[in-house]
Amino acid sequence: MADVVYLHVGAPKTGTTYIQDRLALNRPQLARHDVRYPLGARGDMFHAALDLIERPWGGMLPDAKGEWDALVKRTRRADGRVVISHEILAGATGEQVERAVASLAPAEIHVVVTARDLARQVPAEWQERLKHQGRMRYGKFVRRIQKPRSAIGRSFWQVQGLVQVLERWSRQLPPERVHVVTVPQPGAPHGELWRRFCRAVDVDPAWAPLDSVRRNPSIGAPESAMLRQLNDRLRGTELEHADYRTLVRHLIVHETLATAPVQQRLTLPPDCYDWAEEIFGSWREWIVGSGVDVVGDVADLRPVRPAPDAVWHDPDRTRPRQVADAALDALVAMIEEAARRDDPDEHLSARVTKAAKRLRER
Amino acid sequence: MSTRVLLHVGTPKTGTSYLQDVLFRNQRTLAAAGILYPADRFDAHFLAALDLMRMPWGGLEKQAVGQWDKLAKKVRKHDGTSIISHEILATASRAQVGRALTSLGHDDGTEIHVVISVRDLVRQIPAEWQENVKHRAALSYRAFLDQIQDPRREERISTWFWGVQELPEILDRWGDDLPPERIHLVTVPPVGGPQDLLWQRFSKAFGLDGLDLTLEAERTNPSLGVPETALVRRINRAANQELEPRDYRPLVRELLAHQTLSRRVDSPRLALPPDLHPWVSQVTASWVDEIERRGYDVVGDLGDLAGAPPVTDYVDPDHPDEAQVADAAVDALRAVLLEGSRWQRREGELRAELDDAYKALERSYLRPTYRWRERTVRRLQNSGLGRRGLSAYRRLRGRSSPPA
Amino acid sequence: MSGDGETPGIRRAWGWAAHLRDGGTTPWRDWAVEGTAHGRHLPGAQQLELLRRLNAAGDVSDGLATRVLEASAPGRGRPDLELVGSVDVLAFGPPPVDPADLSADELLRVAAGLLAEDVHAAGLPVAGTVRPRPWRTRYRLVGDPMLADPRRADLGSRGRPPGGRNELVVVLGTDVAQMMVDIWTARSIGVGTTPWGEWVRRARRLDALPRRIDLPRVARTAAERVGVRRVRVVLDVDALPRLVGVRRPLAAAPELSADAVELARRTGQVLGLLATPVERAALLREVLVPRLAEHPGPALVLPRRHVEWVRGHARTMRDELARAGYPVHGDPDGLLPVDRPGVTRPSDAGVLALALRLLLEKKSI
Repeated sequence: MADVVYLHVGAPKTGTTYIQDRLALNRPQLARHDVRYPLGARGDMFHAALDLIERPWGGMLPDAKGEWDALVKRTRRADGRVVISHEILAGATGEQVERAVASLAPAEIHVVVTARDLARQVPAEWQERLKHQGRMRYGKFVRRIQKPRSAIGRSFWQVQGLVQVLERWSRQLPPERVHVVTVPQPGAPHGELWRRFCRAVDVDPAWAPLDSVRRNPSIGAPESAMLRQLNDRLRGTELEHADYRTLVRHLIVHETLATAPVQQRLTLPPDCYDWAEEIFGSWREWIVGSGVDVVGDVADLRPVRPAPDAVWHDPDRTRPRQVADAALDALVAMIEEAARRDDPDEHLSARVTKAAKRLRER
Repeated sequence: MSTRVLLHVGTPKTGTSYLQDVLFRNQRTLAAAGILYPADRFDAHFLAALDLMRMPWGGLEKQAVGQWDKLAKKVRKHDGTSIISHEILATASRAQVGRALTSLGHDDGTEIHVVISVRDLVRQIPAEWQENVKHRAALSYRAFLDQIQDPRREERISTWFWGVQELPEILDRWGDDLPPERIHLVTVPPVGGPQDLLWQRFSKAFGLDGLDLTLEAERTNPSLGVPETALVRRINRAANQELEPRDYRPLVRELLAHQTLSRRVDSPRLALPPDLHPWVSQVTASWVDEIERRGYDVVGDLGDLAGAPPVTDYVDPDHPDEAQVADAAVDALRAVLLEGSRWQRREGELRAELDDAYKALERSYLRPTYRWRERTVRRLQNSGLGRRGLSAYRRLRGRSSPPA
Repeated sequence: MSGDGETPGIRRAWGWAAHLRDGGTTPWRDWAVEGTAHGRHLPGAQQLELLRRLNAAGDVSDGLATRVLEASAPGRGRPDLELVGSVDVLAFGPPPVDPADLSADELLRVAAGLLAEDVHAAGLPVAGTVRPRPWRTRYRLVGDPMLADPRRADLGSRGRPPGGRNELVVVLGTDVAQMMVDIWTARSIGVGTTPWGEWVRRARRLDALPRRIDLPRVARTAAERVGVRRVRVVLDVDALPRLVGVRRPLAAAPELSADAVELARRTGQVLGLLATPVERAALLREVLVPRLAEHPGPALVLPRRHVEWVRGHARTMRDELARAGYPVHGDPDGLLPVDRPGVTRPSDAGVLALALRLLLEKKSI
């Protein structure tokens, strides 16, 4: 059994994918220093995490059955240090946290939470929902999350409420084994988040030199508006989750829209900064009072107000031309992709003759 | 040899598809009345026209080889009236016209008539631009209008446009050797008239009055509105370089333009810009004068060619309402996504079937005798499932990437 | 061209037509003699000018002259044009032109049409069937089509068709710039393709080499089918005979100038209207290409501005092939682009001149 297990549980949209990528890329090297990132056959720990938190997740839960136990088994087989990372773990209930911690005994368990300021988290979460067929307008979303008891509010704060997440995950742990890694504000040197993460899990950054090339696939306000309209239009159609994932999320958003530089960044509505500051205040109070390990600077979590003359791009009121352009880009990408794939029936009939000929030659 | 041949040579967008549809579906009834419309497939005359004019058409021309002679032969063998109809014949050169007429028996006494259905330029001009856009053109409406107004006519677009629209010139080429009473113009009535007035005129011109024909419900020519046409044009601009013609046809023209975007009937319609009406009136007037001077037969009314007065709510397709374009684009996106997902699913189903067939094939190869194997292979080849299995044997043998 | 042929302009045009039919070469601008109409209609400016150029280039038979004057310009483009000065005012139709101002491209439309007719009429030579030898090396040739196709055909005529049990798959290649030219050439004399400039730009935009010359990919596909040990990469084509079990060298592709390939491409376009795709490819290969090969000229090369882009792909290919471990015959650096003499694109004037020569040659075939 590993000596120490670092559970990196979130939060979503704090650079977790980048961290997981980098861990995966450098597995052999890290292993040589007795640091293990026990991926199984899959490329990440998503299924294991899903198995623990037991959410339906667009029909993927059945596929995840048994994955948490498998992960635990791999952790047991390892020695030295093990890093487990997936951001959906943030949403685990108290019971699920207990189960996770119990399954990993008797290793020394640490919890790592990467945290980012609320002003960046809110638009990121909204965009993430859009990529999962969300149809709610931005304004409504922002209003709802300010009501923690609404359905949206609950699901948002379950993973983004830093204090609540820390409380649930650190219940049985001494504060020195709880690490809050703050995501630096934009402008910090490249790789700063990674270096901080390494400090939290007691890893020398030099043990993982290969850098991930994956950039954060975020899209701007007009593109978000277009995506929302598309989700609206897709409602009631027979498009399956799997197809939505491949075609909309990967092809349209990640490979097409997100590859262009973002022209109109999505940000928190200007009138919400007071509220965001208040929340920050409560976070800071808790962190300082609890004595948990902070890697970085709590001040990083303070929402940065925009300049007074800055233009706010409201995705609910975008210029139609820009939405049209985004839709056009997506449309062209889809058409080209469809052209590349061909009609499966056409394909087979062409190949039958070839195959039959080859077989006859044998 | 046919005693009479009715050659319908144009123009596009004048109800020709509907006419050809009716003729195609009623071949037997026509034959009983002594009228031959020789077509073993609905686009037989289109292929014959491509053959006659040696015109490439995005790959379709492969099927056109020899089709004109085939058609002409049937016409010559027939005793009675024959009808040939396709609107691209309008652009035939003099030499091609000569060949066509000769092959139909013109020099041997067959009475050849030329029929041309015509519509006012006020409607034809925007319709032609849209047709161009649906065939991958990326030029703006303004560029199109400028080109067709340029008297030099050096560009392909304007050459084609006038080639299929300029009545006196078309009839000059086709009717040079024919007496004027054998040249018939069928005018398309203005919007708002009785529904079947155009068909009545066609019927009269082609001698179909009194026949009991199945006239299917008026096939609305799927036409796109302003934002939709603007969208397709933008797609062309963005995708033309990468997209092959054989992919463009089913995806953009069929799926998007005809099946999806044409359903949006509430968007503003394409129209002739009001500032072009004087020029159009002038051109039309000169045509009407010339036609009257030459003494052709008119089924309908040349006054129909004047067209509707200028619209008061003109919407410029080069500056459409972007919200409408965005809306159309999202609709189109939805359609392509659903189509794409349908394919994914179908491929999944086929793979499952193939897996079974593959296993059967594998079993056959474990048998000792070669002849037994041969028999199995042949049997599998003859059954649909087996055929798919043979290809699966190739495809599923370790290929991780999708087939090229 | 309307109805009456009574105006002096029209009579002058008929006079010129008769002059050209008799082999004359006076340009329209300098022609003043009137003549009488003979024939149904006056030939278009394109046809008349083409005949004039033919007359200037050589001896034109009566048959050919008639064919030219009665030809149409196939495909899309300007219709038969009137001669400027032959009609005073044209109420309808495109404006009249001075035939001397017609572009080579315009004249080529008619010329390619006539050439296609010639090729079609020549028909395919009768192929004898050759019985395959029993103890032969089984092989398959893939990769650069201009390297593979003629050699495959030669082997076939020696009783060694491709395919068979445990076949050896030979991936043929040469420097990437030449392979690009080869792919376009193969298409031009085969299924048809877009003009050279457009084709290259498109490949550049897609930032990918055409699949057939993406040698690592080709090798990988072959390896999946027959196993890595039966794949050979051959960059030195002289090593091929030994691999496939013959002693004498194999036939190479005929050398075609850039203009020749372009002429084949355009002729093929019209030929596609006269023959089925299989016939069309065979006619181009067996009838037109040999005749084109008799007219040497500068070869086609990749324009300099694309060479750097192609070099990057060449390096990647070389490294990938090395990593994959296929046996390579020849220097792997042979994939890198080489400076060859030639022209970066065909010229319409050159293509037209070649077409004229071929049309005039017809009687000698």
